[in-house]
Amino acid sequence: MNGKWTTADGAPLFGLLAEFADVDALIEGAEKVRDAGYTKWDAHTPFPVHGLDDAMGIRHTKLSYLVFAAGVFGVFAGLGLQWWTNTVDYSLILSGKPFFALPANIPVLFEVMVLFAAAAAFVGMLAFNNLPLWYHSLFKSRRFLRATNDRFFISIEARDPKFDPRATRALLESLRGAAVEEVEE
Amino acid sequence: MNERGGYWRSLGELAGTPAFRLKLEREFAEGAVDAPGAFTRRRFLQLMGASVALAGFSGCRWPKEKIVPYAHRPEGWVPGEALRFATSGELRGCARGLLATSVDGRPIKIDGNENDPIGRGASSAIDQASVLDLYDPDRTRTPIWREGRSERSVVWGDFLAWTEDLVRDLRATRGARLAFLSEPTGSECVARLRRRLAAELPEALWFEYDPLSMDHAREGLRIAFGKPLRAHLDLASAAIVFSLDADLLDDDPAALLHARELAAARRIEEGRTNRLYVVESVPCTTGAKADHRLSLPPRAIAPFALAVLHELVFAHELEAPDRLREILRAREASDPPARAFAKALAEDLAANRGRSAIAAGYRQPPAAHAAAHLMNDLLGNIGRTVAYTADPDPERPNHFDAIRSLAKELEAGRVETLVVLGGNPAYDAPADLGFADLLARVPHAVHLSSHRNETSLLAEWQIPRAHFLESWDLSRAHDGTLLARQPLIEPLYGGRTDAELLAVFLDGRAAASGHDLAREAFGAFVSGEADFEKSWRRLLHDGVLGGSARPKVDVSFQAGPTADSLEQISHIKDHAGENGLEAVFLRDASVHDGRFANNAWLQETPDPMTKLTWDNAALVGPSTARALGVETEDVVRLSINGRAIEIAAYVLPGVAAGTIALPLGYGRTRAGRVGNGDGFDVYPLRASGAPYFAFGAAIERTGRRYPLAATEEHHLIDPRATRERERRVGSLVREVEADEYLRNPAKAMHAEEVHHPPLVSLFPPHSYDGHRWGMAIDLDACTGCNACVVACQAENNIPVVGKKQVRNQREMHWIRIDRSFRGDPDSPEIVHQPVACVHCENAPCEQVCPVAATVHTSEGLNAMVYNRCIGTRYCSNNCPYKVRRFNFFNYRKNLEPVEKMAMNPEVTVRSRGVMEKCTFCVQRIEAARIVAKNENRPLRDGEIVPACAASCPARAIVFGDLNDPESRVAKLHGEARAYGMLAELNVRPRTAYLARVRNRNERLAKREKEGHEPIHG
Amino acid sequence: MSRSTAEAVPALDERIRGEPLVAGGETLASVTETVCAIVEKPRPPRAWYVAFGISAMLAGLLFAMIGYLLIEGTGVWGINVPVGWGFDITNFVFWVGIGHAGTLISAILFLFRQKWRTSINRFAEAMTIFAVLCAGLFPAIHVGRAWVEYWMFPIPNNLSMWPNFRSPLLWDVFAVSTYMIVSLLFWYMGMIPDLATLRDRARTRIRRFFYGLFSLGWRGSNRQWHRYERAYLLLAALATPLVLSVHSVVSFDFAVSQVPGWHTTIFPPYFVAGAIFGGFAMVLLLIVPSREWFGLKNLITMRHLENMTKIVLATGSMVGYAYLIEIFIAWYSGNSLERFTFMNRALGPYAWAFWTMVSCNVILPQLFWFKRFRRSIPAILLVAIGVNIGMWFERYVIIVTSLSRDFLPSSWGHFTPTWVDLCTLLGSFGLFFTLFLLFLRFLPIVAIAEVKSVMPEAKLDRDVHHGQGDYHGDIPRQHERQFGGPETNR
Repeated sequence: MNGKWTTADGAPLFGLLAEFADVDALIEGAEKVRDAGYTKWDAHTPFPVHGLDDAMGIRHTKLSYLVFAAGVFGVFAGLGLQWWTNTVDYSLILSGKPFFALPANIPVLFEVMVLFAAAAAFVGMLAFNNLPLWYHSLFKSRRFLRATNDRFFISIEARDPKFDPRATRALLESLRGAAVEEVEE
Repeated sequence: MNERGGYWRSLGELAGTPAFRLKLEREFAEGAVDAPGAFTRRRFLQLMGASVALAGFSGCRWPKEKIVPYAHRPEGWVPGEALRFATSGELRGCARGLLATSVDGRPIKIDGNENDPIGRGASSAIDQASVLDLYDPDRTRTPIWREGRSERSVVWGDFLAWTEDLVRDLRATRGARLAFLSEPTGSECVARLRRRLAAELPEALWFEYDPLSMDHAREGLRIAFGKPLRAHLDLASAAIVFSLDADLLDDDPAALLHARELAAARRIEEGRTNRLYVVESVPCTTGAKADHRLSLPPRAIAPFALAVLHELVFAHELEAPDRLREILRAREASDPPARAFAKALAEDLAANRGRSAIAAGYRQPPAAHAAAHLMNDLLGNIGRTVAYTADPDPERPNHFDAIRSLAKELEAGRVETLVVLGGNPAYDAPADLGFADLLARVPHAVHLSSHRNETSLLAEWQIPRAHFLESWDLSRAHDGTLLARQPLIEPLYGGRTDAELLAVFLDGRAAASGHDLAREAFGAFVSGEADFEKSWRRLLHDGVLGGSARPKVDVSFQAGPTADSLEQISHIKDHAGENGLEAVFLRDASVHDGRFANNAWLQETPDPMTKLTWDNAALVGPSTARALGVETEDVVRLSINGRAIEIAAYVLPGVAAGTIALPLGYGRTRAGRVGNGDGFDVYPLRASGAPYFAFGAAIERTGRRYPLAATEEHHLIDPRATRERERRVGSLVREVEADEYLRNPAKAMHAEEVHHPPLVSLFPPHSYDGHRWGMAIDLDACTGCNACVVACQAENNIPVVGKKQVRNQREMHWIRIDRSFRGDPDSPEIVHQPVACVHCENAPCEQVCPVAATVHTSEGLNAMVYNRCIGTRYCSNNCPYKVRRFNFFNYRKNLEPVEKMAMNPEVTVRSRGVMEKCTFCVQRIEAARIVAKNENRPLRDGEIVPACAASCPARAIVFGDLNDPESRVAKLHGEARAYGMLAELNVRPRTAYLARVRNRNERLAKREKEGHEPIHG
Repeated sequence: MSRSTAEAVPALDERIRGEPLVAGGETLASVTETVCAIVEKPRPPRAWYVAFGISAMLAGLLFAMIGYLLIEGTGVWGINVPVGWGFDITNFVFWVGIGHAGTLISAILFLFRQKWRTSINRFAEAMTIFAVLCAGLFPAIHVGRAWVEYWMFPIPNNLSMWPNFRSPLLWDVFAVSTYMIVSLLFWYMGMIPDLATLRDRARTRIRRFFYGLFSLGWRGSNRQWHRYERAYLLLAALATPLVLSVHSVVSFDFAVSQVPGWHTTIFPPYFVAGAIFGGFAMVLLLIVPSREWFGLKNLITMRHLENMTKIVLATGSMVGYAYLIEIFIAWYSGNSLERFTFMNRALGPYAWAFWTMVSCNVILPQLFWFKRFRRSIPAILLVAIGVNIGMWFERYVIIVTSLSRDFLPSSWGHFTPTWVDLCTLLGSFGLFFTLFLLFLRFLPIVAIAEVKSVMPEAKLDRDVHHGQGDYHGDIPRQHERQFGGPETNR
């Protein structure tokens, strides 16, 4: 990240963190920050808050397409596996049945499809969220510990082009019920 | 140990002195009898050596007995290649020509010899199992000398040393105070030595005893014709066969021949039918085959013969001497069913004069036999369907008299040295003689025995007896044909044959070897030295001396004596009831008289009727059981005039009312690890006066139960299931009425068809070009004799699992014989049906296996891939025939090395956790294919014979290529009688069953129809 | 999709109005506290120790039995020919069945917007995981040669052979392992935010390390929540057909074979209903004591229990219906083999098992027609236990009676379990409860984040456009009614 800004005691600045007591305040704040045109910022809540996505103007995730693709791939993988192993590579006369007959292959095909899609959903989610990420500057903030309990936060990163320690701080402090603090890199 | 034996054998001959004895004690007193199965590498090389020599002469065996390990593979011998040699086994004094298959010097399989007059290539379950006896680890391994309490295992030389003075004295006293007790034997060597014995030691006594003696027949013939004879039936040309309690098809020296001829004479497709009437007290295989079967208590059977005679003489005007007419006048059968039966039977017999055969069972009193042959005489069968040959030993007293008089001799202390050649009198002699105690009192008893059994224990000396596969001998078949017996392996434990031991008492150390004795004996059959070697070779190769059968003798009927004997039986009341139950002593299909008690294959073979394994039981009919309040597995206390035993009961449909059947041969205490303690010893109830039937048997329940291991009707307790079984059997084991079938085969077959929707498959059937192996089993021929079951076990290394496992239905037999009853439980119709894997083309087992461990070969065999199987058992669950067998444990964990020698190297030994089943003997298919390839010609029909088919006496099983329209199997599949069991499942079985034909006499048929409505599928 | 599905099940909505999902005026903080306290307490209640001790002992027994089995061979069980499957596959189907309620509650109730699921789904999912674990054990040990089991997977091996994809048993392998994996993902993913909560509350280094490790650095960022919700929805949508497929496939083991009594088209739906039935019974069995011990009565209210009893009643009746249809068809088909099989089930040597099954599965649950029993803890426990017994016997009856008397009377037989069979069954329960008790001790047993999201503090009454994911679905109007104010908040 860029070391453009520093905290009072000269440490590189990660960004500013505003704490809110309830959902309404958070959402109002989020709308303001969004309208102020910030891009590198985020809201933190102990549970998913509804309407916050709009309030922050988050674009719809692509995860669904990934999962769909994985599912389709699973179908062909499942079919291919069965066809190749039982028909091409090592075909055997079993119960006088043909070497390849779709009906018998449906169940496995289906399971493989589900398996691939599910794996994609999970892995994709982590990837898009770039998790796992065991270190993050926000974890330095004592208050932030309550982000997983009963408090709501907005963080604006120093990397944000529109970021200016004073202006941004002013904006955050202007928000209802916000307590603002600096978070260092 | 064996080479040690050999070593001492030679040195022992120098040192038969007391000093040597001491030395011997020091060296071998403790643990001289090696741990069972002490089987060394060296020994194995010797065996390999044997096969070298074997290969030397095709078909004949090396003339020297000493064999040596080889260093270089001799020319013309291929390791692992199976060689077959003609030899012969023996039971009840009748030899059976056999072919023994030997691999690398190990005999591993016994089959019938095509040249054998009786077997004609077939063999019995007992023949098949005999190879296991050879490798029985419980066999006695050295001569054993008992001095008071202490036994020590010694060597042959010591015995020779011991006999030295004895032989000298015997020569002096002309054999006084010497007695021999022998089993019946057809051995020419023994016969020859006996003639010498009579000449050189005239004082010596000779007794012959067989606990299952057939002498009643002999006596009966003596009455009828004035001299002891052997009767021979020609069932092939008999239109009517009438058996009076005779198990012609299984328990008879000529059983194999009978089974084959009876079946051949019933091929309805060739317009041939015969009719079999059986009157018996306990169901047997012959009764099961009967077109009409009548259950009568034993005592009523001889009178029934008179009832039939009565009908013949009075209803059908057969002329008979007046005195007979007098006796027969008032001899109608008293109870209605029996009378109806007698009338119908007599009618048939009268209508087929000279084309019927009548026989009585050996359990029946001589008079019954006389009556039977009287019938043959009156009906003019003699010379047509019945022939007689001279008795090999006319002077000998009958067995029970013999053993009685021997007992007298012993009691009187007139015997100093008793030589018991084989047998086990201490166990199986009639109880009233107290033979064991007498034997214990004999100063010097010598017992020639393969096992240290009840008798050997009481003898001073026990000499290991050679197995027939270790012996040289010449022996006579039932019809007198001379058979060769040649060893396939050097005696594993230095065993001796009867003749070899006998010779010692004549010549001491100078006694000739079995080989020489055999050659000497053969001398009498060839004229001149010139071609001796040639014909000797020929004999060893063929196993049979052609044209040596005893000549048929003309007989003239003796009215007087016959009339006297018939008069005796004419006083017997022909209905049961008063003075309690009547006991019948049976030969057991597995252990015979007890001699095979240590043979695990036979022990695990289900009895043809009861399906019991590992045990015998007191068999009672359903109604009698109900009257007595006895159920299967109840332990009952059974007493017959004073003597009593405890035995488990088994309720068997078809046992005559008021009758209790007791199979002999169980409850052995000294049989070996397999036979000890199996079942119950019923000999204690058997008196020399009434060896087969005993009146006044009393039963009381002890309240205890004894677990029996039957392979069928396990837990078939609820009536619903029994009814369902009744309902299904008709469609599974089809039957047709002969006349209906002849009128309209298709219609006759349709009667019991299962009605099912048309069989359509989602997919086109798989096409098999090239071979398409298939099988056909003719239910009309099958007698349920179990030969195929044991043959399969021997061929395919099928493990024995033991009673506990069988009880939990884990028996491993690849082919089983389903036995089912129909109709009135007290006199049911009985059917047998061999079931092995039918190699379905749409095999249900295959698609469900997750690892494709069971698949179809390109020739349509349903192959089981052992090394791929992971043992889910799903295939077995989905197999409608339940012919798959699972290795729940490692059943071979405790095999002795010597037992492993019996394994067939061509067949994989299955591991634990693996499924197995019938392969159609794929190894034999491949073997034949290789031969054909080498001779580059196509496989011929009949060239491939699975083990079951090879053994089958009735030739009921046919195997071949269904794609070859000319093949026998294809033809049979085409016959109207052919049907596929459970074909309605659209599994398309490759095994076709040929419906059984019932050739009923409509006079009786009507009665039976009323008895029970026919079962429908 | 949200609304449509929401309206698709008005009947359930009606009921939901009744009573709050979170009682006793809990707050966000107090919910966190209640749930986390269970894990953070230095020592659990004594009852836990007792239960754990017993379960662990039984689990030990299980492994002893497995060892014995592997050394001696499958012969140590009572199975034979004809009855090739006995307790082994019975237990397998039983446990797989139990394994169904979890994902069902989580996924299907989720898609149907059943908010009341939030307090119990974590339980149910955990139960699924452990049940499937137990289930998976049995196919693994029931084979004759367990050491070559890997041949059932399409792995190149020394025989260069492949598994046979026509075999229902192989379908099982795929179905069950897929189900195991997906359920695990579903469970773990749902737990990530709660693990983060525990991480942030952690006092000791070890806790911080492990919870930190497994919470993957979750920051509750809304951008993360957004994708998380979507992923969760997708998983739910995938898991739902999966649940149905798995037990259908299990039922194919029987339906696809041709044994009379197995070869039946009704099996898939019948098995699925049975699975849900048994599964819910097991959830009840687990949840009732847990909420006692860990003071979760406010999160898992009587209403949750009642809803579950209703599902038990419903599915139980389906199962009963299936029994009837089976018998009817056996008669109606005119197939004498089928007829006999069912007569034999009801009146043959295994009649006792059949009637145990019927009375436990069909008769007993009828209690739940009455509110009194639906809300009485003893009644619930009684039925829950009864149903579990009944469902085990259902599988036993299907497998053993059908095999013991199939086509050829000559090979009819009888199955008698050995002591090894019994100990193995007992041991599998030991393993299951051991794992479950460990779960109770070390993981958030209630989905904290989810519960919070249905609390007043979530302010779902705001009249704004709703989020994409509909993590827990929302029906605002109803929320007003529900959480209008403190007075409704009894």
